[in-house]
Amino acid sequence: MESMLETQNIYAGYDEADVLTGVSLKVQPGKITCLLGANGAGKSTLIRVLLGLTPARKGQVFYQTKEITNIETHNIVRQGVSTIPEGRKVFPKLTVRENLLIGAILEKSKAKAQDRMEGVLSIFPQLANRGQQLAGTMSGGEQAMLSIGRGLMGAPKLLIIDEPSLGLSPLFVKENFKVIQKIKERGITVLLVEQNVKQTLEISDYGYVLAQGQVVAHGTSSMLKSNSQMQAAYFGQGE
Amino acid sequence: MDFSLLDQHIINGLVLGVIYAMVAVGFTLFFGVLNVIKFSHGDVLMAGSFAALIASLFLSQLGEFPTWLNLCISLLFAISIMATLGTLIAQHLVLPLRGAPPLNTLLITLMLGLAIREAVRLFYPNGSNPKPFPRLLPENSWIIGTMEIRQDTAIIIVGGLLAILILNLAIRKTRLGLSIRAVAQDPETARLMGINFKRIVLGTFALGSGLAALAGVANGLYYHEIIFDRGLFLGVIGFSAAVVGGLGSLLGAIIGGFLFAFLQTIGAIWFSVPAYKDVFAFVVIIMIMAWRPTGLLSEINSDRV
Repeated sequence: MESMLETQNIYAGYDEADVLTGVSLKVQPGKITCLLGANGAGKSTLIRVLLGLTPARKGQVFYQTKEITNIETHNIVRQGVSTIPEGRKVFPKLTVRENLLIGAILEKSKAKAQDRMEGVLSIFPQLANRGQQLAGTMSGGEQAMLSIGRGLMGAPKLLIIDEPSLGLSPLFVKENFKVIQKIKERGITVLLVEQNVKQTLEISDYGYVLAQGQVVAHGTSSMLKSNSQMQAAYFGQGE
Repeated sequence: MDFSLLDQHIINGLVLGVIYAMVAVGFTLFFGVLNVIKFSHGDVLMAGSFAALIASLFLSQLGEFPTWLNLCISLLFAISIMATLGTLIAQHLVLPLRGAPPLNTLLITLMLGLAIREAVRLFYPNGSNPKPFPRLLPENSWIIGTMEIRQDTAIIIVGGLLAILILNLAIRKTRLGLSIRAVAQDPETARLMGINFKRIVLGTFALGSGLAALAGVANGLYYHEIIFDRGLFLGVIGFSAAVVGGLGSLLGAIIGGFLFAFLQTIGAIWFSVPAYKDVFAFVVIIMIMAWRPTGLLSEINSDRV
């Protein structure tokens, strides 16, 4: 099967040091692929490389067989890639409605953007009557909803979700994972970056484990759940 | 104190307020999207007024144009040339310095301003002296009660207010405006939304510089003369207005512009020596900055462009 997104032997880093040393992975269409790893394993750097925010020094990134290595971020997004960035990153001084609209900024038709907004508000009815509220004045949980909604406004083929449960209450984390599953059911391919191993493997189809800038284990989620090497690699580095 | 000409003082203050606000809006827009101070802004304004002057003189050489047509063409010419200049400055001087300390951008644009200023002085015939600016607006007066208001003055005030209002609406209501505000708040996340960062930055500089050209033409039409170093003074005032309003806030810049003009007007009424009005205005601005270092609107109203 053709992969949605593929990296081949990626090297990247900041200043002199390489954070990633030869990362290769594949994201299958219609599936949830997860990227696990402790703090500092290189997950965020890899996501930045995929999105053209940090240049790859070596290696290639393919999106639907087309090479996108080191092209400008907005040109990657244009091809149907949305991101729910780490830490939500809602625009604090834009209203909830404007935050959602900006997720569909590439959509020229107002009617289509409006349709999508109705779709998003049906998933998150809590956002519906807060359209005029400034996003910065909402709680962390609400901002998480808004960030997911904003990502969906782009009608993506591939949705990259970076650490969605960071800083959220356990109850909300659970809710978040349910939403991600719903997103997959809509036919959207998901690349999920997480530290929360158990719940992540529960909903994902395939997983990669990153440690010290390299893939140390990968396989189907059920395989990873029982993979002792993965457990060791993961928790060995973690807190 | 001299109250005899109070109505004329008020009208004069309104014209100045409109011009200052247009300059200040540029400073605040540039700061909003790139966190830079572009000090050549005032000189772009001056260059805009010279561009309009050249276009207008050229048109009168060509033949008999109605004055309104002459004005429209000259104005459009000035705005488009300055928008282009602003874009070029952003692309070749400001954006390449993005990784450098902001002080470098400030310095380089300060020097660019000097270069523009001296270039106009050197290359415009007899450029050191004030140049008469063509009277392109009707000069009849309306008498309202005891107040007399000239039509050209009224047109400048209304036209300037309209330009500011339209810009404000564009920033608040259009897709371009939404993109500009997103880039101002978080450039990286804006790029993740598919926004072309560079294009938005260049567009913002075009917008601000076009508005500066309009302010330059308004200045020429009001005083009937322009001079090569007028931009420096207007630039400093526009910058002070933007800072006192809260750099990055659109409404703050507009309020700051009118506040400065208001202070000058008070100064002019208060002191019999006209030169004191600027001293008075700047002293009050300094006091306000000491009282609210981040500007008047930065905390009350967080509407950073």
